Amino acid sequence: MAGICRVRLAEERKAWRKDHPFGFYARPVKAADGSLNLMEWEVGIPGKASTLWENGLYKMVMTFPDEYPSKPPKCKFTPPLFHPNVYPSGTVCLSILDEEKAWKPGITIKQILLGIQDLLNDPNINDPAQSDAYTMFKNDKNAYDRRIRQQAKENIPK
Amino acid sequence: MRADVEHVVSIFGLDQDSARMLLRDYNWNSERLIEKYMDNPTEVQIKAGLQNPKGAPSSVTPIAQPTTTRRSTRKSTAPISPVATKFVCPICCDDEPPATLSLQCGHQFCSNCWAQYLEGKVREEGECTIRCMENGCSLLVPDSFIKQHGGTPVYDRFEELVMRHYVAHIAHLKFCPAPGCTDTVSCRAAATKSALETMVPAVTCSQGHTFCFGCNVDSDHRPVLCRIARFWLKKCQDDSETANWIKTNTKECTKCQSTIEKNGGCNHMTCKKCKHEFCWVCMGPWVDHGTQWYSCNRYDDKAAIDARDAQSKSRISLERYLHYYNRWANHEQSARLSADLFAKTEKKMEEMQLTTELTWIEVQFAKKAVEEVLRCRTTLKWTYAMAYYLEKSNAKELFEDNQRDLEKAVEDLSELLESPIEPETIPDLRSKMTNKTVYVQKRNEIMLEDTANGFKEGRWTWNETVTL
Repeated sequence: MAGICRVRLAEERKAWRKDHPFGFYARPVKAADGSLNLMEWEVGIPGKASTLWENGLYKMVMTFPDEYPSKPPKCKFTPPLFHPNVYPSGTVCLSILDEEKAWKPGITIKQILLGIQDLLNDPNINDPAQSDAYTMFKNDKNAYDRRIRQQAKENIPK
Repeated sequence: MRADVEHVVSIFGLDQDSARMLLRDYNWNSERLIEKYMDNPTEVQIKAGLQNPKGAPSSVTPIAQPTTTRRSTRKSTAPISPVATKFVCPICCDDEPPATLSLQCGHQFCSNCWAQYLEGKVREEGECTIRCMENGCSLLVPDSFIKQHGGTPVYDRFEELVMRHYVAHIAHLKFCPAPGCTDTVSCRAAATKSALETMVPAVTCSQGHTFCFGCNVDSDHRPVLCRIARFWLKKCQDDSETANWIKTNTKECTKCQSTIEKNGGCNHMTCKKCKHEFCWVCMGPWVDHGTQWYSCNRYDDKAAIDARDAQSKSRISLERYLHYYNRWANHEQSARLSADLFAKTEKKMEEMQLTTELTWIEVQFAKKAVEEVLRCRTTLKWTYAMAYYLEKSNAKELFEDNQRDLEKAVEDLSELLESPIEPETIPDLRSKMTNKTVYVQKRNEIMLEDTANGFKEGRWTWNETVTL
């Protein structure tokens, strides 16, 4: 299966270079010897304009399992993000990234990243992954908004 | 299941696949499906994943298909189509796939990817609702597609999953819980919760496994109702061993009833909870003892007698429970030893065949007797649970009479089974045992029938613990 995995990732890479949404970046990490490791990608997701997340660029690592595309990649914010649907480890909790839920082999990297961008300003409160952001979102929306704005400021790319 | 599908097929003129998919979406509730379908067939079909909402964005241009009527489109799930010019499978990125497939939605993928996807969904995830592989496309993969492209093992497994889905959602159907048994049992009488208040739906599958249809408490807990059986088992779990220890080692505070263990020191007790001070020996309040500390020679003190009464009352209820519990446990234990008894009896039967002229058929009476004893022990066991919860009344007395008769008969038969065989007594033993078996069987039937009738007539009155 590793064959399919690499072929697909190479194609994803090609498609991404040809065309990708504005403000995003996604590239396989470089190994120490300078070769590309297709199984792990560094990506950046910009906050949507005119939301609390505006101006921030949030860094994430995507790790692809050998079974990809039968199984979804793991998406992890580095450093972990303050967001109700992001686990304390930084891993994103999203239905399309769950094999048992809505993951389908046909979902492209572009679609995943756009999906996560949507999630930033539109958290799914029924499926919290970290308690800090969740309780603050629930109990003190003002404080939550301040915190998000602060986080956006910290993540302005240099 | 087939009948339900046919029913829907005949009403709406749908094909088998669609009917099955719709029924699955409605958890096999055909009445509700028919009602909703009458109202708005399109909406129902969209919800079930039979068609996509109109104008849904599809990233791939649909391949040409006859789209004259809705029905015909659903049927034609685009069988293997010739490879389109320069088609690259969006999943494996193979630009020379052997063949491409797509559902009615037109999202094309190569046949290898489809096969792998179907296998993963069916075998690993045990899913019987499989949708198109394209992101956001909620079109359901029809059964015939799976059959055609998933391979036989996958399709067989899929059929099994559908069957399970069906049985799980139909109230009057259940799988036999015996390990390795794949039988399903239908019991319409016990499909509702209220029915369980008046009957115990013990059923037997075609492989001979007996179980209760109404609950998963115990294989066969006749004559006790499911609810009461559950009560009893819970009580036993909570109480038995602990209760014994508490009974022998503790007393209750006469004021707040908390259980107190005296682990040393003098008789002047102070309850940790309510600070009540009392004497351990006579259970009367400590103040009455005045200066006679550390020795209690009071006996006829009024308060002390009251206290002891209250205490003994709670002990009596415990004792009452233990009385029933011990008998219950005893029968359970005996039933558990039945495996040994079976082996022993079998040996005896062989012996009999050797020492006398009896044939194999003729020594079967011993085996029958063992089986009957086992059955009756199960019944007896549960009669004790029942008796515990029954309020004292004439009906209960009759119940206990029946119980006693059955128990006596069972014990007699057990004894006969244990008795040694000598060639000269075998004919006698055989007739005795056969008679007894028939008698026991009859007593058991009477017991069960009478109790069941009692439920129907509402003859049994429960004590306050179970009247909810």
